[in-house]
Amino acid sequence: MNFKEQRDNFRSKKVSAKEAVKDSINKINNDDLNIFINIFDSEAIKKAEFIDNNFDKFKDAPLAGVPIAHKDIFCTKGLPTTCGSKMLENFVPPYDSTVIKNCNEAGSVILGKTNMDEFAMGSSNETSYFGPVSNPWNSDLVPGGSSGGAAACVAAGITSISTGTDTGGSIRQPAALCGITGLKPTYGLVSRWGMIAFCSSMDQAGPFSKDAFGCAALLDAMSSYDSKDSTSTKRPDKNFENLLTKDFGSLKIGVIKDINSFGINSDVMGAYETSKTVLSGLGHELKEVDFSELSSGICSYYVIAPAECSSNLSRFDGVKYGYRASDQKDISKLYMETRSEAFGDEVKKRILIGTHVLSAGFYDAYYLQAQKVRRMIKNKFEDVFKNVDLVFMPTTLDQAFEKNRESNDPNRMYKEDLLTIPANLAGLPAISFPNGFKNNLPIGGQFVGNYFSEDLLLTTTHKIQEVSDWHKMTP
Amino acid sequence: MDKIELKNLLFLARISADEKEHPKIIEKLQNTFNLIDEMQDLDLSNLEPLNNPLELNNVSREDVNKNRNSKNEFLDNSPESDKDYFLVPKIIE
Repeated sequence: MNFKEQRDNFRSKKVSAKEAVKDSINKINNDDLNIFINIFDSEAIKKAEFIDNNFDKFKDAPLAGVPIAHKDIFCTKGLPTTCGSKMLENFVPPYDSTVIKNCNEAGSVILGKTNMDEFAMGSSNETSYFGPVSNPWNSDLVPGGSSGGAAACVAAGITSISTGTDTGGSIRQPAALCGITGLKPTYGLVSRWGMIAFCSSMDQAGPFSKDAFGCAALLDAMSSYDSKDSTSTKRPDKNFENLLTKDFGSLKIGVIKDINSFGINSDVMGAYETSKTVLSGLGHELKEVDFSELSSGICSYYVIAPAECSSNLSRFDGVKYGYRASDQKDISKLYMETRSEAFGDEVKKRILIGTHVLSAGFYDAYYLQAQKVRRMIKNKFEDVFKNVDLVFMPTTLDQAFEKNRESNDPNRMYKEDLLTIPANLAGLPAISFPNGFKNNLPIGGQFVGNYFSEDLLLTTTHKIQEVSDWHKMTP
Repeated sequence: MDKIELKNLLFLARISADEKEHPKIIEKLQNTFNLIDEMQDLDLSNLEPLNNPLELNNVSREDVNKNRNSKNEFLDNSPESDKDYFLVPKIIE
């Protein structure tokens, strides 16, 4: 069942919130994909009863009576929040993040927190302390990452909506690999307050759903100006769900010149070419754009993200909250042993890289140069958007891959983010949607739009989904 | 990167690793730097560095007292606390 049907069932009193929650909990109990880190079934039933008892208050809310799963990166008051790490295995936040607060007020019911790569560092969900998540389409394969559990949750039909975060593609890549729709909003549209920080200048929360409609409704709930996040932007209120019916007319859509040179799999390219035909059929004009700078984004990202992570994760020292190494007699050893015992290998590696690129003697060559590459990518997008309304490209280089494939060649994994990273560097919004199938596995395509053009991204995707069925496929 | 540089880096990052593991760590880091180093060939001397995509202005607010989370809720999350204090091993000899 998709999001709209589920919400309609609640609004028409066909299915109560409690019945919807019980149905989802049954599905979670039969889940063998390791999608959830923590499940809050008794709290969910209580909240659902509250919503049912206050039907008139909630019936028009954007997420009325709909069960939701949240990536375990958003702090939930009184409920464990682990960020996929041993470091926070027993952490119970004393406050709700703004995203959680907004989704609660919008009438959704939290079922639990979904599995993820540790501190959102990974593209396969294999760096989680709580074990890897399996792809609902084929349990030998990864669901993508870092929001792998959240994407798998919707793909497996446990919930019709879930939240994720996207620092270098962590919403769009798992959306593509699991065959669902996922949107990374403009940096600053959704508050980062209470969302555990990885790379603060790129982290951005966003919605997952089967289709653009569900993403629009969830984004309506998630986004708000928040004085507690100094990078939150004050924008005129847009209702993304209502705007889905708006006619934006014929668009100029940029397609990347020589995109084959990026090493994209032929099946993914096949789906891309088919989508271009669909876009032309909908009356849009395709314009080739030269964007050879795209590939440098990887270098910039793997300097800036580790640099910011090394700073952000310095707070985990075993003193105020989280894991503490036992029997330490010396404060310096307490820090060292706590961090060594509780961080996984990928997190430690990125902290070391970040510490190195920020240290005296290497700062100019690495950190400053990476920030200049970031400027180059942003400038290039600004040039491109003078001539086109949206840019269209595949979301990933490949389809879902086997577990453990990348452990011997991490650079191969990093390069998987080639097509998603540029939007994060520039802070632009982008949406991934299912645009093909091969070998019984989904393929994703993505639009990147100009700043705060989420309405255009969602509506364009919605129009495609009105004339295609890729988003309706189920594992 | 050599073993002395790695030791310094591990100390700066407050991460410990068995010396036997050092060659493996150096290899992993070097592998990532090989990827990153591809940007060194770009001449970007005419560009200003970009540290935030929206290049926002600072946000200020009225300096008024607001309800804060309670002290006890935060202390409850601490691995070890006593009354109003976080406890750590002795720092001064």
